[in-house]
Amino acid sequence: MEALNPSLTKTLFFKSYPLRSTFTPQLVPYIAKTQRLHGSRVLSFALTCKLKTPQDVNNKDKTVSKKIVLSDTAPPLEEEGGGGTGNGKVPAKSRSGGGVMRLVKRFPRRVLTILSNLPLAIGEMFTVAVLMALGTFIDQGEAPDFYFQKFPEENPVLGFFTWRWVLTLGFDHMYSSPIFLGTLVLLGASLMACTYTTQIPLVKVARRWKFLSSTEAIRKQEYSDILPRASIQDLGVILMGSGYEVFLKGPSLYAFKGLAGRFAPIGVHLAMLLIMAGGTLSAVGSFRGLVTVPQGLNFVVGDVLGPSGFLSTPTEAFNTEVHVNRFFMDYYDSGEVLQFHTDLSLFDLDGKEVMRKTISVNDPLRFGGITIYQTDWSFSALQILKNDEGPFNLAMAPLKLNGDKKLFGTFLPVGDAESPSVKGISMLARDLQSIVLYDQEGKFVGVRRPSSKLPIDIDGTKIVIVDAIGSSGLDLKTDPGVPVVYAGFGALMLTTCISYLSHSQIWALQDGTTVIVGGKTNRAKGEFPEEMNCLLDRVPEIVESSLSKEASRNSG
Amino acid sequence: MIFSSLEHILTHISFSVVSIVISIRLIILLINESAGLYDSSEKGIKTTFVCITGLLVTRWIYSRHLPLSDLYESLIFLSWSLSIICMVPYLKKNINHLSAITAPSVIFTQGFATSGFLTETHQSVILVPALQSHWLMMHVSMMVLGYAALLCGSLLSVALIVITFRKVIRAFEKKNNDSFSFDEIQYMNERNNVLWNISLISSRNYYRSQLIQQLDHWSYRIIGIGFLFLTIGILSGAVWANEAWGSYWNWDPKETWAFITWTIFAIYLHIRTNKNFEGVNSAIVASMGFLIIWICYFGVNLLGIGLHSYGSFTLTSN
Repeated sequence: MEALNPSLTKTLFFKSYPLRSTFTPQLVPYIAKTQRLHGSRVLSFALTCKLKTPQDVNNKDKTVSKKIVLSDTAPPLEEEGGGGTGNGKVPAKSRSGGGVMRLVKRFPRRVLTILSNLPLAIGEMFTVAVLMALGTFIDQGEAPDFYFQKFPEENPVLGFFTWRWVLTLGFDHMYSSPIFLGTLVLLGASLMACTYTTQIPLVKVARRWKFLSSTEAIRKQEYSDILPRASIQDLGVILMGSGYEVFLKGPSLYAFKGLAGRFAPIGVHLAMLLIMAGGTLSAVGSFRGLVTVPQGLNFVVGDVLGPSGFLSTPTEAFNTEVHVNRFFMDYYDSGEVLQFHTDLSLFDLDGKEVMRKTISVNDPLRFGGITIYQTDWSFSALQILKNDEGPFNLAMAPLKLNGDKKLFGTFLPVGDAESPSVKGISMLARDLQSIVLYDQEGKFVGVRRPSSKLPIDIDGTKIVIVDAIGSSGLDLKTDPGVPVVYAGFGALMLTTCISYLSHSQIWALQDGTTVIVGGKTNRAKGEFPEEMNCLLDRVPEIVESSLSKEASRNSG
Repeated sequence: MIFSSLEHILTHISFSVVSIVISIRLIILLINESAGLYDSSEKGIKTTFVCITGLLVTRWIYSRHLPLSDLYESLIFLSWSLSIICMVPYLKKNINHLSAITAPSVIFTQGFATSGFLTETHQSVILVPALQSHWLMMHVSMMVLGYAALLCGSLLSVALIVITFRKVIRAFEKKNNDSFSFDEIQYMNERNNVLWNISLISSRNYYRSQLIQQLDHWSYRIIGIGFLFLTIGILSGAVWANEAWGSYWNWDPKETWAFITWTIFAIYLHIRTNKNFEGVNSAIVASMGFLIIWICYFGVNLLGIGLHSYGSFTLTSN
């Protein structure tokens, strides 16, 4: 045991030196202040400590005195900030300003205090939730007549809720209504205020590297234990082995783990603000447009896109002309649609092809900030041969479009097309792969596939279906907010993960041969005592022979 | 054919095993603690887990896509995630009674999935074009895991509310009978100083207060995990929507309700940061969250509105 100890202490110090150096800049002001105020006390304290720990003094004189200064000043500071909110610290700073300045300063500070109030923030979140829920119950974006019928004045929902409420408060377009957006803005302001006044001071307190030098303070922690006949160095090594950062100064030990768990909630708030900012940018600076283009036709991007907000500015890429080379679907063996594809070519002003890509659902085309999505389809025309004449293009009319069951139909007049009671062949299709034909009486005749080239005879008229021409439903947009929102998403995911970490702090004090251990954690309160018990069980018990040496070394 | 009968067998095994497990757990919780019963219920949960895993793998093999494409499959996945969460306490070896509260949720989801309500959807359907993406695995699995964890956590909170309110009622009943119960009410307020008060009150109450503290803590931890999964799920869904639908946020009912769920549990986590609100207040919020998850998970699907109601997506034909 004796032979082991020196090497262990060496590793301990090796580990803590780099960390100490990162903390020194923070310490400097405190040192300066305390030396000016009560330099003599520091000196005396340093002396007593030197007496207690000759071992440390031999190692490094300077660090010891610095550390002692810290341990002398830290407790009062800790009491001040330890209240949790750190609000108490803010007025203390503002006291330095003059009388007028104070008034000017006080107003934003009061607003900050109100905004960072937790119940208010909770109320805002709750309001947002309720408004969103209302938005899903009230049909959005309908004409006023719809609401007159749905929420009549004679028979109000819940006894009071009529169309007047819906239209006055803008609940017919909930997610862009002033009430909803206003609540979101308020929530964003609360986020900022809370981060500024509460979270950052909390982190400052948590980062402070503090030793507890009294037994009572350690015993007061959420978890505390007494280890008889143990050495604080052994404890330090064991804590280091399980991922703690350990700081050792004479008889006191301070160790912490999961400090990132304290920082992460700030990151969560900032990420939320980033997402909100990105969302705003999307709302004011994007273009959107929908177009249904039959296979083989063109359109110009700028004609389709319409601005959504006052910051929407067209770019060079809006002159691009898009040509739909081909629209086709893949099918499962059972006949269901597997995927929709559109082969697109992009031409610049000079008519040069700048890009060609086959897009499908989940695989959009991106060019110069414009994104083209495959979102819909339609049946444009049917190409047929009638009695080997033609081909004729018959325009297909949408008969039913609601939901996923689309139905298209066309009509081929037979005989005198000018007569008032014209009869003909009806052709119906659910998709591009099979056409159902009915005769003049409306009776079912047969089904033909466009690819089969198989003629069908209907009352003496021979019909061959040559091709089914689909049109592709394309969704176009430019959105400058996407990179910002994505950055926010990434940050939010990361910081939410880190937020799950629990910040655990452990203090220990060597008192003769016993070690008093105390600790606390901010999240994993259930697991922490168990983890501590496990760790403390591994601290070796010092046998008598080495005990006496340890004791003599401590006293000497 | 082999696959579907295998699926059938596995469904029935898992369902019966989980019901046996629940009765055993309830016996342990309510009547007595016996090591033998405890072991058997532990084995039962593991069997259930293996069965549901087998079920999912079978379905995956014969439908050739991740079994997360419709309500039935996501329900099975939900009960799979719930059984994982039920197993965690066993692995940790430090909480005995919590899975008695969470395990019934497995039987409910599994029972609902296999019941007659969803018979039409039992047949493995084809994957609609919008779902053919790698994001499917990430988004849906994260969402369902999140729902499962949040459901478990909020169930623990519901249990906490039930126990606390029973205690309050009992305390008030006692107060009418004799004056000594003042100690008990005081003890309720100073729950944290259990050791200080232990001499004054019966050991049964001590046990109950321990249970409440455990419930409180574990519901917080499990909801924390669930919130994490939900966040990742919603965000990956938003990224996917930007690939497939043309915008990362469409105010689709399902999206909106997922966001409402997220907000409610964000409120829960914020209430927990304030020491004055801890305990029952946060538990009430969590049990509100419990209802909202079900609205989000089922309500929106049953109404069949919006972009998330697969089976009526605009792009599918026939």
